[in-house]
Amino acid sequence: MTRHTNLAKTAAETPPAERTRSGRCYRPNVDIIELADELLVVADVPGASSEQIDVKFEDGQLTIHAHVPERQPEDTEYLLREYGVGDYYRTFEVSEAVDSDKISAEYADGVLTLHLPKAEASKPRKIAVKT
Amino acid sequence: MSLIPWRSKQRENEQAQSPLVAFRREMDRLFENFFREPLWGLQWPFSETGQWMPAVDVAENDREVTVRAEVPGIEPKDLNVSVSGNQLVISGEKKQTEERTGKDYYHSEIRFGSFRRIIPLPEGVDTENVEAEYANGVLTLRLKKSATAAPRRIEVKTKG
Repeated sequence: MTRHTNLAKTAAETPPAERTRSGRCYRPNVDIIELADELLVVADVPGASSEQIDVKFEDGQLTIHAHVPERQPEDTEYLLREYGVGDYYRTFEVSEAVDSDKISAEYADGVLTLHLPKAEASKPRKIAVKT
Repeated sequence: MSLIPWRSKQRENEQAQSPLVAFRREMDRLFENFFREPLWGLQWPFSETGQWMPAVDVAENDREVTVRAEVPGIEPKDLNVSVSGNQLVISGEKKQTEERTGKDYYHSEIRFGSFRRIIPLPEGVDTENVEAEYANGVLTLRLKKSATAAPRRIEVKTKG
């Protein structure tokens, strides 16, 4: 498999400290993909809008926090309810193999994509074999 | 319940094209639905064939029925909504982008593939009058109730 398993998910589902709203906090489903020069973190955060998504990098920890507003008034009568609505929160540990200054994020159709460029030192290099 | 072994995404795509596999899948689905009928005849978020199903909620008030499905990563053009009889059918496909297929996955929690959900509608819904809206990965359908279905208050007259 791959060399650096540097982007491991954190087990704890700690809600952010500044959280004031009541209600639940959900852990978004995530794919982590390695490409030639970057790692991609793809998270499904349906219901959040781009201005309500907070992506932070601090002390080697990458945090996704997406605020999701209620979709229905509180006294709604549900005939069927398969999912809850609440904020998304998840943290990742990022190793030094990632160039943290250049982390970027984009959001479209409920999917947040984070680009974590690899640091120069950890990019794959092809070494020519001399004859 | 059938136990279908895990297959790679690519292989699954190849198989999905075979009409026999499609037929078997359809048969499986029919059987499953038959046994689930007592529970509203609904399909659950994960079908036995390992396919992905979006989660749905259905709310009702005096004027309308609102159906909301969480369908992140699906473009509106890949979503189909139709009403037949008193059933609402939502189908679509969550596609994996080309550049990411066959790459190294450290972690894979997101599911891809096509889905089809049938949602039974309550009585009195005007099936001609459906509004569909998609924003930030959430599909919202509003189905107006027909005028005759709206509750009417009946005056109780006192005599004499």
